[in-house]
Amino acid sequence: MALEFDRSMLGKVFDETPFPPVTKEEILEFAAALGETNPLYTNEAAAIKGPYGGLIAPPTFVTKLRAQKFTPEHLPRFGKVGFDGGRDLEIYAPVRPGDELTMLSTIHDIYEKTGRTGSMYFIVIRNEVKNQKGEKVAVIDHRIMQR
Amino acid sequence: MSIVYFEDIEEGDEIPFIDLFLSKDQVRQYARTAHMYVPRFTDDEGARAEGLPGMIAPGVMSMGLLARMISDWNQAAMIKRIGTTFRSPVLPDRNLHLRGAVTQKNEDDHTVECDIWMENDEGERWVIGTTTVAVPTKS
Repeated sequence: MALEFDRSMLGKVFDETPFPPVTKEEILEFAAALGETNPLYTNEAAAIKGPYGGLIAPPTFVTKLRAQKFTPEHLPRFGKVGFDGGRDLEIYAPVRPGDELTMLSTIHDIYEKTGRTGSMYFIVIRNEVKNQKGEKVAVIDHRIMQR
Repeated sequence: MSIVYFEDIEEGDEIPFIDLFLSKDQVRQYARTAHMYVPRFTDDEGARAEGLPGMIAPGVMSMGLLARMISDWNQAAMIKRIGTTFRSPVLPDRNLHLRGAVTQKNEDDHTVECDIWMENDEGERWVIGTTTVAVPTKS
């Protein structure tokens, strides 16, 4: 049976969240929590001499941004329970201290997969992150699994 | 700084692994900095109330640790894309092993594709994924 839902909801921006400027301290804290040792993320004095001319955030830093609304009001429900199925992250530009990031959220896709244990439904929430210059910084896809 | 050049990488190369003991405090530290300070990531009782066996690490923390493996391997590498599937909840207070291997070299844009995963002492792969990494060239 084909999955039935209102396809017009796909790609529609349901949330736009601006964030306060990224601080050097939160970059250092994030890097420390992961045990990073790369000076680009951990040592400003060394990073200044590196390819970016200063400290940048570790690649998964953008995954800590929280949208005001994680899902739209009328998120379709296909199953009883939901799981965090995974994350796909594409990175286009580094995040630096002082960056003012904005995140736009859409439902990117909804699909069904049938496995050994029956049907599973996937809702892909897409977060697009841009900076104060309007540059695309990253795209994060969350795969919410329902069964 | 440890730098690995595109020319010196071969398909099939293993990425230097990381073996770590993931403590509950490290998970709490991550949860705090990532604004995820909720019971399932911070205390066993709260997590059990949600039907979990105990507190777990956020999926994105596992992703971050796998990204760190790439940056430890090659400090001049830039992750262009990383995708992870959370196959099983990651329980802290135990040894975890981060592993990876180069599966493909792309000559046109000097990127490499890698398989990456996190497993426990029993070899169960709790998190699996792939990443595309831009690496420097000698020329």
